[in-house]
Amino acid sequence: MKKVHGPARFLAFVACPVAISLICGLANAQDDGARAYWKGRAGTNVVSFQYLNMHLDASDALQFDPAHYIYPSADADADIFIANYARHMTLFNRPASLMVNVVGGSVEADFDTNLTPPEFLPPGVVPGTSFSQSASGYADPSVQLDVNLLGTPPLIAGFDLLDYEPTWTLDAAVMLGVPLGEYDSSKVVNLGLNRFFGRIAFPFKYHFRVFSPGYMSSLEVVPSVWLFAENDNFVGQKLENDPVWQIEAHWTHDFTRHFFGSIDLLYRNGFQSEINGADVGSDIEIGDIGVTLNFQVTDNLTLRSSFSSNVFGDSDINSSMVRLQFVYMWHQAMENMKKLGSE
Amino acid sequence: MGKSGNVAPPQSLLLVVFFLMAHGLALAQDDRPNFLVIVADDMGYSDLGSYGGEINTPVLDDLAQQGIRYTDFYVSPTCSVTRSMLLSGTDNHIAGLGNMGELLAPNQVGQPGYEGVLNRRVATVASLLRDSGYHTYMAGKWHLGLEPDQIPHARGFERDFSLLVGGGDHFDDGWNIEWQIPKGPYTEDGRPVKKLPKDFYSTKNYTDKTIQFIEEGRDDGKPFFAYMAFTAPHGPLQVPDDWLRRYKNKYDEGWDVIRMRRLARMRELGILEEGISTADRLWFLPRASMLAPGARVVMGRKMELYASMVEYMDDQIGRVFDYLKEIGEYDNTVVIFFSDNGAEGNDLVGMVAGRPGTMGYLHAAANFAESGHNFIGRKGSFAEYGPAWAQVSMAPFRLYKGFVTEGGTRSPLIVSGPGVQGAGGLNTNAILHVMDIAPTLLQLAGIEHPATFKGRDIVPTQGKSWSKMLAGEVQSPRGAEDWLGFELFGNRAIRQGDWKISWHYRPFGIWDWQLFNLDADPGEQYDLSGKFPEKRAELIALWDEYVEMNGVILGNRSPYEGARKGLPDAVLEFDSYPPVRGLEAIPHQKLIELLSQ
Repeated sequence: MKKVHGPARFLAFVACPVAISLICGLANAQDDGARAYWKGRAGTNVVSFQYLNMHLDASDALQFDPAHYIYPSADADADIFIANYARHMTLFNRPASLMVNVVGGSVEADFDTNLTPPEFLPPGVVPGTSFSQSASGYADPSVQLDVNLLGTPPLIAGFDLLDYEPTWTLDAAVMLGVPLGEYDSSKVVNLGLNRFFGRIAFPFKYHFRVFSPGYMSSLEVVPSVWLFAENDNFVGQKLENDPVWQIEAHWTHDFTRHFFGSIDLLYRNGFQSEINGADVGSDIEIGDIGVTLNFQVTDNLTLRSSFSSNVFGDSDINSSMVRLQFVYMWHQAMENMKKLGSE
Repeated sequence: MGKSGNVAPPQSLLLVVFFLMAHGLALAQDDRPNFLVIVADDMGYSDLGSYGGEINTPVLDDLAQQGIRYTDFYVSPTCSVTRSMLLSGTDNHIAGLGNMGELLAPNQVGQPGYEGVLNRRVATVASLLRDSGYHTYMAGKWHLGLEPDQIPHARGFERDFSLLVGGGDHFDDGWNIEWQIPKGPYTEDGRPVKKLPKDFYSTKNYTDKTIQFIEEGRDDGKPFFAYMAFTAPHGPLQVPDDWLRRYKNKYDEGWDVIRMRRLARMRELGILEEGISTADRLWFLPRASMLAPGARVVMGRKMELYASMVEYMDDQIGRVFDYLKEIGEYDNTVVIFFSDNGAEGNDLVGMVAGRPGTMGYLHAAANFAESGHNFIGRKGSFAEYGPAWAQVSMAPFRLYKGFVTEGGTRSPLIVSGPGVQGAGGLNTNAILHVMDIAPTLLQLAGIEHPATFKGRDIVPTQGKSWSKMLAGEVQSPRGAEDWLGFELFGNRAIRQGDWKISWHYRPFGIWDWQLFNLDADPGEQYDLSGKFPEKRAELIALWDEYVEMNGVILGNRSPYEGARKGLPDAVLEFDSYPPVRGLEAIPHQKLIELLSQ
């Protein structure tokens, strides 16, 4: 691996915010979540509000590793709010969904420079001191299109859904993030990425047991790759990143008709940074394991909470995420029928 | 013991050996036919392919080609009642099932003929055949008593694997429909079955047991009487997983179209004459085309399950036939197939579960509450297909199980085997009854029905042997003056020739006698009481005779007495109001001819 020398040493420092901004950038879809690719009847609308609290703690790294982009003892906390709207539809006679994400929140990072070699400190920072940076506002919005390739017929009418008993399904999903979020090129902590980014995913599901409320179980695997355009003003420098290869997996299981849980796995690898054409730090490898509990409150409203933490991958990083999500969905025809029923 | 005693054993042994050899020789030469009586549970009249149905029943259709189908075969409106007449050969009011044991009216309790179990006034055909040298086997539903002296092993079956009650889960859960006995009690060879095998499915295991019994008993050369009392397609509608979607979306068109197709096919087959009146779609059911597609899918899924159950049963019957062919006994076996009553259109779950707070409700909630669209048909679900599909199964007739209309009491009947003449034929002239079967089997086996059995007096059979009819000597065992009587839950009927009177609680009837001509109007749509009052009076007189002859006690309570509150009144006038007509517009030439006489 090509090492950083000279002016690029500073940029090694800023690789820590890069990791933070990775978190924020991926807050668009930290993970898709369990049963995210289950199909709904065309015309179904889904609005979701999520709150995520993410914590990144590198304090366990007792020895500074110049190969790493994260400063020792760097802690980051992020409170992220995600609102998204999705609509199920058909595209080329295939079930599809279009989703728009709007992300916002705040991020705060603390850096302790006690263990930091002086050459890696930013200008003006005295060795042995600590400093903080924060950001708040909107992050980059994104839009995602998911199309089922195999295993699911078009779900247009109510009776299509009645006859729907999937075994396995394969989708293709494309996401595009637009750099409209808060970005201050003088800061190393930002919510926006100042560049386009996207993801290509192939969600796969296998359904066990009976496809009936209370009896559904599924194994869901979503391999994907994140791609990042160039950030031409990363503290005045040009930042490029390798793709992030990601596998998200869920084992979901109905406990009752209205309550399911899942064991979640999220593995990411890649994101080698390159500043002004030179590699900075190393790539990342993070593996999170978590749990999700999902409770359907009414026909329309669902509450979901998740917790995950990294349990493998880079040993000097501790991260955790708590998520609380409200999902409200409706289909106009169903709502109209309720109106009739209530009269 | 003296010296002579030492000599005696060899001599005795020789005698015994000689007897056994002689007896064995005699048995080996016993060329009397085997009897295989196969009873479906709640299967409809027009479900089989050979009766106009779209359900795939190749085995029974093939049996029909080898034997004869009969169009006018009667059973009781419900199962245990039919079974009592099947095994006794006499009327249910004599045999102990004057009413179903579960539904005895207060004034019937303790009365002779209303024991609710097969009583001791009768000897079963199994007992008599067994005593005459037959092996007697049973697998399936008994429903004629739970006590040790009432179970199959005590009533003539040397081998049995029996569900003693009226129904329940078809899988190994084995729960009973009724909460009083939460688990369906099974017996095997007279002993309680403690646990059903994990892979248990009623139809399959009853078939396994039938084959096993025949196989284990066939070395001695004795003929057998095997009674296969399937619990299919009785609710809950359940089939093994790989049969769940065998009829996927086949019934999404709804009941009207399927019924019309069946009627057309029945006409092609000659089961239904052109120009006769068939029953309207039941007045309280919607026209299927008025239903949203999703609703039709939901309703159609239940009929899919029903059809799968029927086909599965057909498939398993094929296993028995294959086995009999393999051992060379098929050609010497008289096979009789029929259903125990009309198709089930009542809300059995509703009857069982009752209302919140009841034990039945608790039992249902614990054992068969699952009703998800994709879950029904599996273990833990209790799907029924309801009156809309039941009227399809009972096309062209009116109503279904529980009623003494043709829809409750008419069953398909196929008889095949040695001595049955006219292979592939259709007999539309014979008026037959389930209580004919016992005297028929006894006559074919060369047995006289005795006046006493095991030291007790038993009643004579009322059924009429079919032996001459099967031999092609007569068209029917009954003449113009013979008649049949029916009564259950207070609903009552008499059939003589083409004429029938029936009495039903409102709104299924009019709380009075109605007169129908079944030749012109098998759908019992048009009350001809006003036009033919003398005929009506004649038949009412026969009803009185029936009551007297069989000790009928009309219950002072009936499950149907309150039905009027839940349903609108039926429109039964001759010029039927268009909305109650089905899609079919069958011309009523025969009825018009009759009325113009």
